Amino acid sequence: MTTGSGNPEPGSPLLQVSDLTVSYRRVPAIHHVSLELGRGHCTGIFGPNGAGKSTLLKAISGLLAPETGGILIDGLPPSRSAARISYLPQRESIDWDFPVTVRGLVEMGRYAHTGMFGTFGAADRSAVDGALDLFRLTPLADRQIKELSGGQQQRAFLARAWAQEAALYLLDEPFGGLDRGSSAILAEALRTLAGSGKLLLVSHHSLADAADLFDSAVLINGELVASGPVAEALSPSNLACAYGTSVYHGTIRT
Amino acid sequence: MTLFDPILSPFGYAFMQRALLSCALIGFANGFLGTFVILRRQALLTDALSHSLLPGLALAAMLVGLSPAGLLLGGLLAALLVALGGQLLARNSRLKEETAVACLYIAAFAVGIVLIRFARVRIDLTHFLFGNILGVGDGDLWIAYASTCLTLTILVLCQRPLLLTLFDATVARASGIRVGWIEAALLALTVLGLVASLQAVGVLLSLGLIIMPAATAYLLTDSFPRMLWGGAILGMVSATGGLMISFHADIPSGPCIVMLMALFLTLAYLFSPRHGLLGKLFMGRHRHEESLSRWEGHQGHEHRFQDTDGHGNP
Repeated sequence: MTTGSGNPEPGSPLLQVSDLTVSYRRVPAIHHVSLELGRGHCTGIFGPNGAGKSTLLKAISGLLAPETGGILIDGLPPSRSAARISYLPQRESIDWDFPVTVRGLVEMGRYAHTGMFGTFGAADRSAVDGALDLFRLTPLADRQIKELSGGQQQRAFLARAWAQEAALYLLDEPFGGLDRGSSAILAEALRTLAGSGKLLLVSHHSLADAADLFDSAVLINGELVASGPVAEALSPSNLACAYGTSVYHGTIRT
Repeated sequence: MTLFDPILSPFGYAFMQRALLSCALIGFANGFLGTFVILRRQALLTDALSHSLLPGLALAAMLVGLSPAGLLLGGLLAALLVALGGQLLARNSRLKEETAVACLYIAAFAVGIVLIRFARVRIDLTHFLFGNILGVGDGDLWIAYASTCLTLTILVLCQRPLLLTLFDATVARASGIRVGWIEAALLALTVLGLVASLQAVGVLLSLGLIIMPAATAYLLTDSFPRMLWGGAILGMVSATGGLMISFHADIPSGPCIVMLMALFLTLAYLFSPRHGLLGKLFMGRHRHEESLSRWEGHQGHEHRFQDTDGHGNP
């Protein structure tokens, strides 16, 4: 851990979500969600399809504007803490044929610090090297991103976030499409990050491996059902509540 | 007659000097721009824009005659109207943007053909459609020079936000980049590039100068900067080379330039070391052996953070 660890004080609230409602065309996708999450956790977001997992992540990353309530990251709204947040997109939204190598991808993370026009200095280069090393990507640094396996691709994006020195990692279904071996490696990388004081928010749709992958969980179904340690948050009664009721998405006018 | 005569002889004529300089500038700038157009997957939108220049050119010719500045402005306005109109139509109806733009540009093209009949000066429609590089005047040269400088300056200065936007617009937006402005600037530069290349290759072939050199470079490299500069150099080489061939073979310059670009693209498609058809044939065997030896070497080793992707990659 040479760079990017910030000032890790495990437990201090990094992310505060209060009374958050986000709507698409006046139809709310999540309503009145309030959450407080501290550093050093790897938190899974669970809920049925359409429960608003991606919406919650996008709102925290600043991509969607809240209709009510707000989001604070270290006391600042997402629009003012872009460098501290790293949003890892779903696999399908990436053009894997893009002419960029693993090193080039990780260098993009440094743009949050160099600015759009500043020089790319020795400190930036060593941050890139450190990130490549931490995620065991140094031997693959000159490969084009399509020439990696699914797990290596996920790690390359994590390395970019590390080089960016982000404190809050937002991952949208990173385990989708990974085989068991790659999942285990990715899970270990996530735990390493949480151990160094990062907060990871990970949307995930399988409940079976929840306890292995995450130390805490957020359960939503349009609104917040539960939040806390995995076993408590995903208790049978909470799950029945989240998966047994239908989500209100407004009425369709025809 | 020495060996270099075929290369040097065209430089003896003033009109050829101008044409070559104009081709070199436009070929370079448009080849550079092409990388952005290709990676945003806007080749077909660009084709639509090139056709929609026609009514603007015709209108400018009607109002101010054949002054280069007037033509530039007319073409720019017409193409931007089609691009923005397409977005407006797509947002307010169930038509998708490509359909909306296609309808608008073909309508604009039809209007342009009719308008040209009413121009004050007699205009040869074929000059607009196929270009007339040997008629390059001082004004055209200045426009080529200015648009090249402007395009290269903006694209080089804004390389980082452009790269982030091209790679993943969602993440770029989340990290505070004004993606809308970046996209609008790219669109404006594309239209500028199209207008600047009109004199060389005309409305119908102007797309080639933007798309084909960058597409060739895309087949040859995995590095973004190399694709940018490689596309620019290929664009310059094929534009000037095509012009030279057309001079000696006495065939129209526009088609000659585009055919030379097509030749380079074909060569890259076949012989690119990493992405070419023949390259892949040789690569397959090598990769397999490499993978086999690694698999044997790794058996029984600890797999912590090592890859178990099933292909034996390290």
